[in-house]
Amino acid sequence: MTGKRITSYFIAALSIGVATTLLKSFGERANATTAALAFLLVVLFVATLRGSRPALLASVLGMLCFNFFFLPPTGTFTVADPDNWIALFAFLVVAMTAGQLSARARRRAEEAEAGRREIERLYRELREAFERASHAEALRRSERLKSALLDAVTHDIRTPLTSIKASVTTLLDEARAGTDGGGAHAIALDAESRRDMLEVIDEESDRLDRFVEGLIDLARIEAGEMQLRRRWGALDEIIAAALARAAPLTDGRRIAVETEDGLPVARVDPRAVAEVVYTLLDNAAKYSPPGTAIRIEARRGAGEMIEVAVEDEGPGVPPDLRERVFDKFFRATGGDASALRRPTGTGMGLAIARGIVEAHGGHIRIQAAAGGGARFVFTLPIGDDEETGEVLSDEES
Amino acid sequence: MDRKPRILVVDDEPQITRVLRTSLFTHGYDVRTAADGVSALETFGDWHPDLVVTDLAMPDMDGLELCRRLRAVSQVPIIVLSAKGDERAKVGALDLGADDYVTKPFGIDELLARMRAALRRAAMAPAGEGPQSVLEAGDFRVDLEARSVGVGGADVHLTPKEFDLLVYFLRHAGKVLTHRTLLAAVWGGDYTEQSEYLRVFVGQLRKKIEPEPASPQYILTEPWIGYRFDPGA
Repeated sequence: MTGKRITSYFIAALSIGVATTLLKSFGERANATTAALAFLLVVLFVATLRGSRPALLASVLGMLCFNFFFLPPTGTFTVADPDNWIALFAFLVVAMTAGQLSARARRRAEEAEAGRREIERLYRELREAFERASHAEALRRSERLKSALLDAVTHDIRTPLTSIKASVTTLLDEARAGTDGGGAHAIALDAESRRDMLEVIDEESDRLDRFVEGLIDLARIEAGEMQLRRRWGALDEIIAAALARAAPLTDGRRIAVETEDGLPVARVDPRAVAEVVYTLLDNAAKYSPPGTAIRIEARRGAGEMIEVAVEDEGPGVPPDLRERVFDKFFRATGGDASALRRPTGTGMGLAIARGIVEAHGGHIRIQAAAGGGARFVFTLPIGDDEETGEVLSDEES
Repeated sequence: MDRKPRILVVDDEPQITRVLRTSLFTHGYDVRTAADGVSALETFGDWHPDLVVTDLAMPDMDGLELCRRLRAVSQVPIIVLSAKGDERAKVGALDLGADDYVTKPFGIDELLARMRAALRRAAMAPAGEGPQSVLEAGDFRVDLEARSVGVGGADVHLTPKEFDLLVYFLRHAGKVLTHRTLLAAVWGGDYTEQSEYLRVFVGQLRKKIEPEPASPQYILTEPWIGYRFDPGA
């Protein structure tokens, strides 16, 4: 620090020295005014580059050199003409003031620069902190998703496994009792019980298979690998197929189907669309009490779309959950629906349904039904946009 | 017991109640099932089962609440069915007075063994809480008045707290006792979080009563949950 200051003073003195030498080399052509202005320039130069104190030194040295070399009588520090005293004094004041002002300007500029750097640093830190926070948030979200997946797996795989294991071990007990000639806890299952156990194993294996199937579908949809096998299909046939499959679930519900006359056939994957309708029927049956009605409507919507609605008379879906029910592994529980049977789905059905509808180029959403129940509406394009596009490009080529 | 033991199975999964009903019936039990806590309490009131097997995760009234309600009115043995990884609910149920737990998925033999043990324990329990000066179970003989302890015929000297702990173990032999339950019973309610106390005292007690303290046969550790006391043959 001191080294730097000494250098500054040295530069100040040197500058004045150089200026004096240069001016002297011009000889008589450099008059007192030229010299004074040149020294002022040096003072300004020192003030700008080296600050106020070296500028002060330069001012004093400049004044002395001015006096010694340029004010008559030259070669002495005496001043003959009283006017020159004024000139000398004016030079000193101007040099000092100009030096101080320019040094202050320099300081201000430095401060402004430091401030800018500080703001930049703060901004960088803030951005880094923000990035870290959003990274942490993303991590947390993915952790939450993972734990939701784990919960789903815990329940949806272990529950059928529990029934299977309990059935199998009961059957094994009996088999062992048969071969051992009856142990301490020998049991004899009657034919009906044995069949009951086997049926449970059969049904629960299917349930596990469906769960795995759902996981695979979901993974495909998420990876954007949903394969649609589109062909022209009639919506009433698709709905009828879904209804037939859902018959065991909708037992005890009044089913009303309403298809608009002259509904055009649509280029869809009929199996996939039937899956969507089935999921919505399953959902409606789960969340509405027995004895109520489930209505299915299909009609032409705006803009070359077919609109299908499934409406129940259950408690409905609260507005804040209307988006979330389509999230995977989301299951509405408890609440007002406490009197109803517990939702036993996989938490994947609606997510898959949304994937299928969107792969077709349609939309699915929930509305409040007139009777307060839930009304799921999805749309499907009548034609196949993608294929139309391909045909057009073929014609162009 | 003259009549068949009555078992109430509570689970919201119809397939599980279906299997257990058939299987337990075949093993000589009288079985009724309930799909939720509310109907379980109704059945319990009407039918007076000898043992309750309940799932923990159920709608409306979960297994924990059911344990609490049952314990408020009865000492019926309760076995909870819990999923692996659901330690908190399991410990909660045991704290509330459940006797034992079986982790899903389970083999029917395991459930049957736990049921038999719980029923046996319930049958052995003194009808009244009358003063009892000598506790005898398996290899253990404890004179409560003289505060003397015999293990397999040999006298063992215990400190007062060790003695209290052993007596509590003996009185609840076979039952899974959570850290909380043991701490509250022996040290009082203020110490229920101090599970290191318990570890130290169980360690000392094992050194005095176990033939091989490193592989205990009487005081068995239930990992993350607590201990189970087996008085031996």
